[in-house]
Amino acid sequence: MKTRNALAALLALSLVATAQQRRPQTLYQKLEAAHDPGGPAPKRDLTGSWTGPLTPKYVDAPPLTPLGQKLFKANIPDPFSASSNDPWSVCDPLGFPRSDTTETRGMVFAPMPGRMIIMTQYQKIWRSVWMDGRELPKNVGAKGGPDSAWYGYSVGRWDGDYTLVVNTVGLDDRTWIDRRGYPHSVDLRVEERYTRVDHNTLDLTLTIDDPKIYTKPFVLAKNRFYWIPNQEDEEQLCVPSEAIEYKKLIVEPAGQDEAKGKK
Amino acid sequence: MKLRLLMSLICIPVFAHHGSTAYDTSKAVVLKGATVTKYVWANPHVIITLDVKDDKGNVQHWSAEAGTPQTVTLSGWSKTSVQLGDVVTVYIFQSKTGNLVGRLNKIVLADGTELRDSALGYREAEGDGKQ
Repeated sequence: MKTRNALAALLALSLVATAQQRRPQTLYQKLEAAHDPGGPAPKRDLTGSWTGPLTPKYVDAPPLTPLGQKLFKANIPDPFSASSNDPWSVCDPLGFPRSDTTETRGMVFAPMPGRMIIMTQYQKIWRSVWMDGRELPKNVGAKGGPDSAWYGYSVGRWDGDYTLVVNTVGLDDRTWIDRRGYPHSVDLRVEERYTRVDHNTLDLTLTIDDPKIYTKPFVLAKNRFYWIPNQEDEEQLCVPSEAIEYKKLIVEPAGQDEAKGKK
Repeated sequence: MKLRLLMSLICIPVFAHHGSTAYDTSKAVVLKGATVTKYVWANPHVIITLDVKDDKGNVQHWSAEAGTPQTVTLSGWSKTSVQLGDVVTVYIFQSKTGNLVGRLNKIVLADGTELRDSALGYREAEGDGKQ
């Protein structure tokens, strides 16, 4: 009997394995599996289209300040839940750095005179990163200072020949920094370090500093992007009317919140 | 057209995008002769709605979700794969609430073409859903 049970279990496992092997791979998974460096990295050049995973690797946040704890507690994650207050669930702007931590399937670097344009495929976002030596604005959001913005104000510089460092301030505090619901204040400062490891590989380390909300600076996420061979991008949009319809037709009747114990 | 509920053993799956806790993934409901009333090629997930008659001839209105357009494209779907009025067979993991809503396992078109879900279409044992 034991032998028969073991054989049955083995058969079931093999069927699962066979079925899983049939599942098509994403472009990212294919490129990751192929692991082709494509030659050395060109100097000071990230130009082109890159693909990433759905979500980067998150790092645990440090202890929050009392204000941070209060804001974090009020945020209800899961954009696919009827009770969530994730701004993403109604297709509000992801803002920055959320655009670096959510739906990171596509990214484009497009240099222009005096600046680098960084575009993200999801929601067709672009950011201007000034490379002309200017300083970041001060007192953003304060009386007399510039207004905060969904994607803030960014400047960039090369650290050596293969790492682009982008610093950003002035970020609208209505956004979350990731889908876990971590908040930020308008004083948030973000550093992105893009390191081109070889022709086909680009690593990102995202570090944030927001003393009003977190007790110390920390690495929020790490991500890896691969060069897209045919350089074609996809269209990927969060459409408010479609999000509303999805909740009405699927989320609410399916009882997704009840199943997760949210009500 | 008759609604037939065919139960089958299917291995427990895991969703890539978000949770499956709302759905009973231990068995699939099979809707035969279902007429497509809506096919929404959208984020976050593709949606299909269907009308199917039960054993008493009453029309039931079902809704089901699949993966994102990007992921089901890898499985051979497109924005025009399904047309309004198509009569299809659909395998669905129904909501635990008992409401007529669920996660798709696969759609079988009239010509026999199978459109499998990106998350749950590849976790089943061969021969599932057959009496």
